[in-house]
Amino acid sequence: MPKKSKFAKPHPIRDRLQAIRPRFMAFMLDWATWGFVAYAVMFLLQRYWWRYINFYEPLKLPVWGWPAVILGTLEMALLTHALFHTPGMAAFHVRLVGKDLQDLPLAQRFLRFLKMNATLLAQPAVFFMRNRRPERLLHDSPSTGMVVPTTLLKDVVPAKKPRPWFFTYRGLFLLGLLGVTFWLGWLISTMAPHMLVDRWPYAARIWGELVDVQFEYLLVDVNTKGQLFSIVYHMIETIFIALFATALGTLLAFPLSFLAARNIMGFSPLGWGIYLTMRFLFNAIRSIESLLIAVVFAVWVGFGNPFAGSLALLIHTVAALGKLFSEQVESVDPGPLEAMAASGARRWQVVIYGVIPQVIPSYLAFTLYRWDINIRMATIIALVGGGGIGTLLFYWKNEVGRPGENAWGQVGAVVIAIIVIVWLMDYISGRIREKIG
Amino acid sequence: MQELVQIDRLTKIYERGEVLALNDISTSVGKGEFLVLLGLSGSGKSTLLRCVNRLIEPTAGTILFDGEDVTKARSRQLRHLRRRMAMIFQQFNLVKRSTVLTNVLSGRLGYASPAASAIHKFSKKDIELAMANLERVGIPEQAYKRADELSGGQQQRVGIARALMQQPDLLMADEPVSALDPATAHSIMQYLEQMNREDGVTVMTSLHFLSLARRYGSRILALKDGEIVFEGSPAEIDKVKFKEIYGEDAEEVEVR
Repeated sequence: MPKKSKFAKPHPIRDRLQAIRPRFMAFMLDWATWGFVAYAVMFLLQRYWWRYINFYEPLKLPVWGWPAVILGTLEMALLTHALFHTPGMAAFHVRLVGKDLQDLPLAQRFLRFLKMNATLLAQPAVFFMRNRRPERLLHDSPSTGMVVPTTLLKDVVPAKKPRPWFFTYRGLFLLGLLGVTFWLGWLISTMAPHMLVDRWPYAARIWGELVDVQFEYLLVDVNTKGQLFSIVYHMIETIFIALFATALGTLLAFPLSFLAARNIMGFSPLGWGIYLTMRFLFNAIRSIESLLIAVVFAVWVGFGNPFAGSLALLIHTVAALGKLFSEQVESVDPGPLEAMAASGARRWQVVIYGVIPQVIPSYLAFTLYRWDINIRMATIIALVGGGGIGTLLFYWKNEVGRPGENAWGQVGAVVIAIIVIVWLMDYISGRIREKIG
Repeated sequence: MQELVQIDRLTKIYERGEVLALNDISTSVGKGEFLVLLGLSGSGKSTLLRCVNRLIEPTAGTILFDGEDVTKARSRQLRHLRRRMAMIFQQFNLVKRSTVLTNVLSGRLGYASPAASAIHKFSKKDIELAMANLERVGIPEQAYKRADELSGGQQQRVGIARALMQQPDLLMADEPVSALDPATAHSIMQYLEQMNREDGVTVMTSLHFLSLARRYGSRILALKDGEIVFEGSPAEIDKVKFKEIYGEDAEEVEVR
């Protein structure tokens, strides 16, 4: 076994930070949990205030309200931290124990809570005090307990038959938390199932007209007598928007993905710089939904122009594929690369002979996956003026409101066309996947 | 005997000073020698081999290869030095999805013309050499198969053919037979022996079995916790020395 060497230098700040990290994180998690509880209480109070308590005056907190909430949650976190094995402690694998690492009596736990209260403000100072062992921080003493990683306790604390998790304090608390979360969720997203029944007549009319499909709009637009405004024409347009975005996106993402792979670029400061920049760009662009990018391009190159939609999908595709591709590059088997480097090959030769053969299959799979996504996006990118079959969908949908017009049948025809496109393209990419898989 | 590799006070520390892998090692390898490295897993054998061609960057110390300082070599000089030292690996390290021939040819990348190699083009001479080397290791008929269709022993032969492409002065083998069955292990070791005897290639190999080391090695270097605990001829290793290398509880296992 390689031995622990004397070369490891002790580092006062780093060592203390390391020692303190799990218990700090555990405490912050517990505090945040109580913060959520406080938020829930406030929300529910306000929500039911006007209904049951005072209809005429809204609930208002006094000036000291928010500080009180913050202090209150802090106190609750301290108290639970001293008395129970909290969710935070469980999540970060620490435990409060007493002398000989045994379980601590309740009285001493409470004493610890009082002590922590007394010197809460002094904690930052305690951290930087010299000649204090890291484990002595935060009032750890055999008499009032120590917070230690559970890994230390493996052989010390006798194994007890565990209770079922939902029958512990922690389990009950978490169940309560779950219940409150659902309660809040129900109120915030204004769930009202009875609407579905009450307003059925309105929906029934639309459903009825929707299935009265106007197929004559498939090849020629009846109103304008124009082929260019027909559904089939826009189907073809949609497919080509997706095709353009996927094909060009893959071509661009292929070389860029190597620039965003740590195992290719991480050998020089310049390489690191490029790697970090590329990763940042990929992540940033990927997080912008292509509908938003299309808004810009629709203004730039013309509203309703398929070019706008293609560009938007292209940019999102490059970023998304670049990220996925570079992760594939990072997970290649390093063995062959090592072997080639050892034989005196240049780094780019190693990429060509060692990396590319290994990543090609997953690149193909991801490209097909992206193709599926792009087809779906191309059908609705017209919402913001990106062209494709969505142009008709939203055109006919807007026609509905005009007096004397009834265009739900046309909408139905477009919906059927969308279903056909998506199904067809899914089928094709599925078959290709089978062939290469 | 003339020295090919001279290692002077080589030290390697891993993980921000946590693990001392090699501790102040000095030794040398003569031209034409068949050096076997022995030692438990983690004793520093692989690290030592990888320091010689700088797949691992040494922390301190110097390594001279044929009089040139490997540890100070810049990228171009390092590539030229690496061309002269071939390496084969425990897990063969072939590109599994490429053909056997491409794998063998990739050993020639250091010599090949950069522009041509970028589009998978090798000179006729290189391809002939690759076929000749596949013939030499007895698997010419597998040339156009994918590497992962081959058995373990065959894959290691591809690894040897790839190493032969470099026409090296030094062959380093990192536990070349650990992933193979005993019969195959011997045939692989015989190829190494053949290279050593017929082509005059100096061999450094780490092995797990003392019996293989006795049979093939001309000199043995045993490591323990990153330090040299034995250096000498295979015949000198007796029961006492064996326990020194492998610890008190070890029993010798033979591969015939």
